[in-house]
Amino acid sequence: MSRTRLLDEEVGRAMSALSATAKKGLADPVLAELVVIRASQLNHCAFCLDMHLKAARRSGESEERIQLLNAWEETEDLYTEQERAALALTEAVTVLTGGTSRTKSGGGFVPDEVYDRAAKHFDEVRLAHLIALISVINSWNRLMVSRRIPPGGYRP
Amino acid sequence: MNTAEETVEYAAEQSPRLRWAEHAPEVYKAMIRLDAAAGRGLDARLRELVKIRASQLNHCALCLDMHSKDALAAGESVERIVQLSAWEESRHFYTEKELAALELTEAVTVLTDGFVPDEVYDKAAKHFDEAELAQLIAAIAVINAWNRFGVACRMTPGHYQPGQHG
Repeated sequence: MSRTRLLDEEVGRAMSALSATAKKGLADPVLAELVVIRASQLNHCAFCLDMHLKAARRSGESEERIQLLNAWEETEDLYTEQERAALALTEAVTVLTGGTSRTKSGGGFVPDEVYDRAAKHFDEVRLAHLIALISVINSWNRLMVSRRIPPGGYRP
Repeated sequence: MNTAEETVEYAAEQSPRLRWAEHAPEVYKAMIRLDAAAGRGLDARLRELVKIRASQLNHCALCLDMHSKDALAAGESVERIVQLSAWEESRHFYTEKELAALELTEAVTVLTDGFVPDEVYDKAAKHFDEAELAQLIAAIAVINAWNRFGVACRMTPGHYQPGQHG
């Protein structure tokens, strides 16, 4: 059985509007791509990875920073402290399921240290938009993975 | 019983970590618009079951408060809400269509463990027509976004009144 490609038109429009609003409020397009790529890696969204890798390359992001995003915690000097705080928040907000509050990975909730680290680098308005961006890419990931939308077709 | 209840000391209520809707009002409006669009055409009780189950998996306290109350207001039974976190062991509380939707909800919500299996998708596709299925997937995707706002900003549960947000 093949999967539906259907997406309600109003849902599609509302999703796009939400994405644009979140991105605008974060006011850092370079960081925005890193955040959506990292969330899409965690959620295994092939379509989203294809789209945002192309978008990041097109906007001049370096190949090294794209390639090593999957292991950003092990890198030095490749990402700024602000970017690292945002990536840590992206991971915590994306991996909400599983385990209990005591499970380190996939353990639910967003730890205070992760939140506080982000709050040190972003004022409340930008932090709210960063959380919005993480939330909305999580929705896109789910829309694309569940309908198995194939990667490769995206043109920036 | 009454005296015992009166002397219970609960932990202090915490304020939200971030009042995100005040700091990002345009985002909040966009979420409300999206939420209204994603719910259209789905049975109200089914929609609430899906939202409660996703909120359980994502541990969103505010969302559980809201959607349990909305479910009760929509005529849902306490029993079916209570059994929801163990639905695989209490299948006779739910219809086959609801079970297919719950299974899809779990697969789409727990993406970090990988993909949405064919058997889960196909079962849902047997019970929902294509337009309904697209809306079911949209509803699951959207509650997952609300859950993330709720958990990341540590929104305080307990104060929701059913139907508060229309």
